[in-house]
Amino acid sequence: MSNVSDDGYYEVFWPRAPRQMRTKQLAPRLASLEGRAVAQLWDFLFRGDQVFELLEEGLKARFPGVRFVSWREFGSTHGGEERAVLAALPKRFKELGVDAVISGMAC
Amino acid sequence: MRQAATTSVGLGMPNIPLALVPGHVGTQSKEELRRNILEVTTRRVIENLTVAPAADVEQPEPGARDIICKGGFKAVNRFFYENELSDGLPIVPPTREEVESFLRFADRDPDEVLGVILPDSRAATIWSIAVNGAMAGCRPEYMPILVALIEAMCDPEYGVEHSGNTPGADTLIILNGPIIKQLGFNYSQGALRDGFMPNTSIGRFWRLYLRNVAGFLPYKNDKATFGNTWRVVLAENEDALKKIGWEPNSVEMGFAAGDNTVTIARYTGGGSLSSVSGSTPGEMLPYLADTVQKYHMWQLTFTVSHGNGSLRPLIVVSPIIAETIAKAGWSKSDVKRFLFEHARLPAWQFERQLRDWNIRGVWNLEEDVRMGRIPKAFHESDDPNRMVPIVWEPEDFMIAVSGDPLRNNAYVFAHNGFLGYPVGRKIQLPRDWERLLGSQS
Repeated sequence: MSNVSDDGYYEVFWPRAPRQMRTKQLAPRLASLEGRAVAQLWDFLFRGDQVFELLEEGLKARFPGVRFVSWREFGSTHGGEERAVLAALPKRFKELGVDAVISGMAC
Repeated sequence: MRQAATTSVGLGMPNIPLALVPGHVGTQSKEELRRNILEVTTRRVIENLTVAPAADVEQPEPGARDIICKGGFKAVNRFFYENELSDGLPIVPPTREEVESFLRFADRDPDEVLGVILPDSRAATIWSIAVNGAMAGCRPEYMPILVALIEAMCDPEYGVEHSGNTPGADTLIILNGPIIKQLGFNYSQGALRDGFMPNTSIGRFWRLYLRNVAGFLPYKNDKATFGNTWRVVLAENEDALKKIGWEPNSVEMGFAAGDNTVTIARYTGGGSLSSVSGSTPGEMLPYLADTVQKYHMWQLTFTVSHGNGSLRPLIVVSPIIAETIAKAGWSKSDVKRFLFEHARLPAWQFERQLRDWNIRGVWNLEEDVRMGRIPKAFHESDDPNRMVPIVWEPEDFMIAVSGDPLRNNAYVFAHNGFLGYPVGRKIQLPRDWERLLGSQS
């Protein structure tokens, strides 16, 4: 226990600062992936090329009509060009008729 | 996974669904990876794309001026530590009196926002700089330096959002200008050692600000595999530079000689070169070039297309090394040219490091040059033994002079590329700086 007599008394401020980002609503989920276009975003690290190939296999087994838009269409989401790549995504998604996105991998 | 979950809060999507690949893909056989993806990850991906996640409720937080704790020194420190607001060392309690003493050295509105810092998306305010500066044990007169540092942190070119990457790099702050002597920074023997209040406390401030305002906490947004304690401020020996006619780092960063400036960049590590012997540049520099090349291994990823040529190695030489090189009429630019031409490695080793040993499975130098993504110097022939540089151009090397004036040692910092690109800021002193400074002593 602190002792006011030899430990002082302090009223101290919060060292953080207000968050500037409010919570956003997520996009509605799809009822099914059947007949839908799923885009792949990759940071070109950690075997994502192999991971997406396997995910395609797994998703097609469940939804034979699912279509994939490869990570090759978008460029790396992490790297010297990342800001430009990310800024271009909404337009590219519309152009390519994308219904859903899987973004990977970690760092 | 924890990092993704924490980052998603700062980005305003706390309930964004995540799918995990068990373990680490970098250590799995093809069969293990196949089993993990098909048996675990695929199921979660389907769920994430077809089932709406539960809404997340924002957790209320204190206001910037709220008193969050009242009590004695030990109680305050316990509160800060238990609430992840400090680094484990005792803090100076940020009381109104303390904070206001810092604000007097700012000449700025305490609520002025210098930028919004990722990943927590918090406002970098003058007020929060004063609070964290007080906590770190800084003196109020360091405030103009602290403000310049956070202005630099907010510069998108620096890339503060990457400060929690797994290699655990840490920032080095380089200080230039008359303020070095004015505030009593160490720029001589033990230049990178703790034990000097301005060098040490400002280094600690940087790390506290990354924790409290940017949001880089271990086990959350800070994923450093190892990490290290913060680096103390490196002040250049401007007397030595002036004596030999070399420009200080501040001039390299685009400022005028004599300006008070800070430069920040992140380094993954590096090390000391002992006994750089010789009486001419030709005798000294091969050792430096060889070591600079050897300290940059996986960091070469920042030289190729992925890193967009953002690798900026830093070499700190002691004054006696700089003097010996300058005595032969060599400028800093001459040294950089030498390093560019000699800090090289065979192309096959460069490619092996990234393609076979690290993480760049779909890449090679020939393709990067053919696509115009990197300079031609990286593929002037198909000879795998051709020597290739580690940076795009000589000016990518940075050179600073500090440390024990009479010891012929140097230090190489391995750079973290665009995950902490060098950024400089001029330090703006308050209008009545001299009077304020006088009132502190």
